[in-house]
Amino acid sequence: MKVDKTLVASVALHVLVIGWGLMSFSSKAFESTEIESVPVEFVTDDQLNKITAGIKSGKKENPKPLVEKVAEAKPVDDAVGKITEKKAIVTDAAPDPAPKPVEKPPEKKPDPPKPVAESKPKDEPKPIEKKPDPPKVDPIAEALKKEETKKPAPKPEAKAAPPPPVKKREYKFDRETIAALVDKRDPTRQAFAGDTLNSTPALGTAKGTAATLSASYLSALVSRIHDCWQADGGGFDEQDVKIPITLTFKQDGTLSAPPLLETEPRNDRERAIFEGARRAIIACQPYTMLPAAKYAEWKSLPFLFHNKVD
Amino acid sequence: MSGMVRPTALFAQAQQRLEVVPGGTQALPIAIPNFVPGSPADGEVSVGVAQVITNNLKRSGLFAPIDQAAFIEKISNIDVAPQFQNWKTINAQALVTGRMTRQPDGRLQAEFRLWDVAAGQQLAGQKYVTSPESWRRIGHIISDQIYERLTGEKGYFDSRVVFVDESGPKERRVKRLALMDQDGANVRYLTKGADLVLTPRFSPSTQEITYMEFGQGDPRVYLFNIETGQREIVGNFPGMSFSPRFSPDGQRVIMSLQQGGNSNLFVMDLRSKSTTRLTDTPAIDTSPSYAPDGTRLCFESDRGGKPQIYVMPATGGPAQRISFGEGSYSTPVWSPRGDYIAFTKQGGGQFSIGIMKPDGSGERILTSGFHNEGPTFAPNGRVLMFFRDPGGNGGPSLFTVDISGRNEQRVPTPGFASDPAWSPLLS
Repeated sequence: MKVDKTLVASVALHVLVIGWGLMSFSSKAFESTEIESVPVEFVTDDQLNKITAGIKSGKKENPKPLVEKVAEAKPVDDAVGKITEKKAIVTDAAPDPAPKPVEKPPEKKPDPPKPVAESKPKDEPKPIEKKPDPPKVDPIAEALKKEETKKPAPKPEAKAAPPPPVKKREYKFDRETIAALVDKRDPTRQAFAGDTLNSTPALGTAKGTAATLSASYLSALVSRIHDCWQADGGGFDEQDVKIPITLTFKQDGTLSAPPLLETEPRNDRERAIFEGARRAIIACQPYTMLPAAKYAEWKSLPFLFHNKVD
Repeated sequence: MSGMVRPTALFAQAQQRLEVVPGGTQALPIAIPNFVPGSPADGEVSVGVAQVITNNLKRSGLFAPIDQAAFIEKISNIDVAPQFQNWKTINAQALVTGRMTRQPDGRLQAEFRLWDVAAGQQLAGQKYVTSPESWRRIGHIISDQIYERLTGEKGYFDSRVVFVDESGPKERRVKRLALMDQDGANVRYLTKGADLVLTPRFSPSTQEITYMEFGQGDPRVYLFNIETGQREIVGNFPGMSFSPRFSPDGQRVIMSLQQGGNSNLFVMDLRSKSTTRLTDTPAIDTSPSYAPDGTRLCFESDRGGKPQIYVMPATGGPAQRISFGEGSYSTPVWSPRGDYIAFTKQGGGQFSIGIMKPDGSGERILTSGFHNEGPTFAPNGRVLMFFRDPGGNGGPSLFTVDISGRNEQRVPTPGFASDPAWSPLLS
């Protein structure tokens, strides 16, 4: 049998080329492509589509995606460093506005009742005397100022004690132990993940509306104030009185300024409702549900307080 | 309570307001330490004033005075700001500090400050000087200041109540007119009990009351000056005159006059003594009460078959029936605020105290029982006083209830008591 040499040569060449190709391509390292950050929790398809949309107020040029927490936990080098954000409170050199001294009604007459047998009421007026304005500095203002300056500086954070040595135990199946390990938290989004923190909101992708998801912590904030604020039961408010109040916060969730009533109260009742709400707002701080990474979103929030319980 | 977040997208717009409603209703925790005595001799009155304030605010139902045993800080100088943290610790939202000092001229000086504990602010500060025997009244005036500053509504503590004091066995009751502070203190008797007295009513001036007395003949309406003890008969009408009540300006008295089997409403000018007929019906029209602006009045009439409440112009004219519930309605009285008319309602074997709006809507029964009768409004229109007779061998007592129907409280009286009438504010 005569073998065609050209055919043999062709087959051999093809085998050689294909073999070389297989060998050379298979040995080449796979290229990793950079992927976009995604939420770490389960979300619905709809939410997933929206999740990277970014925030309307974000800078257009900002190429970095919003990252609220580090994807993989890294050991904290210096835990104390976090605390340094709380600077010691320094009072202004000017004294705080002092409470008014007792002085109000000029020559008011309480005119207490007298027994019938006594002389006529006009014989002995009992005026409410006006206290002369103290020319000196109000002692209460001084005391308040002192009080302010006395506020304790942030405590140095105690170093965490090393964890106790873990005893190795023989594994034994315990249903209760397993149950305790199960994460019972609601599968809702907690934060964006990424390799480095970036608190600047990004514009995001075209289809997303991630900002709408931030309603969860605002709801928690509203719920907290709602729980703290108790109506006084006073008044005859048949109608719903609405008090516009703006709250401004520090990054740690405390108030950076007293609650601000945006419009002058129209009457004493509105003022009383505002002051009752103010007491509750102050007493309930800090508002720890506010995520520090989104500080720009909640730094200043407008509220509408309704007096109606129902 | 739920629904603090209105069903709107919270951040549909960048600056949409977050809406919050109260989580509930709660009496405001308030700390009222004993006032600081200016001298050792002022110790008793300093404690007394604090107790009067505490009692007033507690009885209002809007405040929850904190037990003094829980106090961490002792107030020794009211001119120094309190340590607010000490009061926050015991959950006080408001703090009252005060001082009572006997002046060289013998008069008593009272000073107080009201503090907002959370905000660390003084909300009010006042000073009063009065005669030493009026120290309780100072307590009432300060109570009103605190109430007004913290609720935004007028107070009612510096006021008095005139009522019919009842004593003796049931078949031979002695009934005397009596006057007391709204909290039941300082009871004074205005009549000696020889004649039967009924339906006392305060003048807006607070110096006079009008009432009905059964003497030797027909019942008559009288005016009585609390300060002088003098009394005079209002008009000299044939037949009975009853159910008197002052007009808001104190210049007129409106009452019922009986003519035959009927009674109609008449108003008498106290200066000119001229009398004007307001109704002319073959029915019993009685228990008239003016609206606070003096333009209208409400009264009880059986012109429709059984007693119901009607409203008509103060100058007379067509009357409009406003009560349409089951049973009969009587003793209507218009609130000093003008927003409600209180009444006694009889039906289903019970007597109830209730309120409704002047157009008859919003009827609300505040309390029911064997026998409740004779509502009278506190000066601020928020609280009603009435009398309750449990039946049997007992006798009637006075009670207060909030217009919401909450916070029913018995008013302490020396004996049995009925027919209360609340004065306007004294100051």
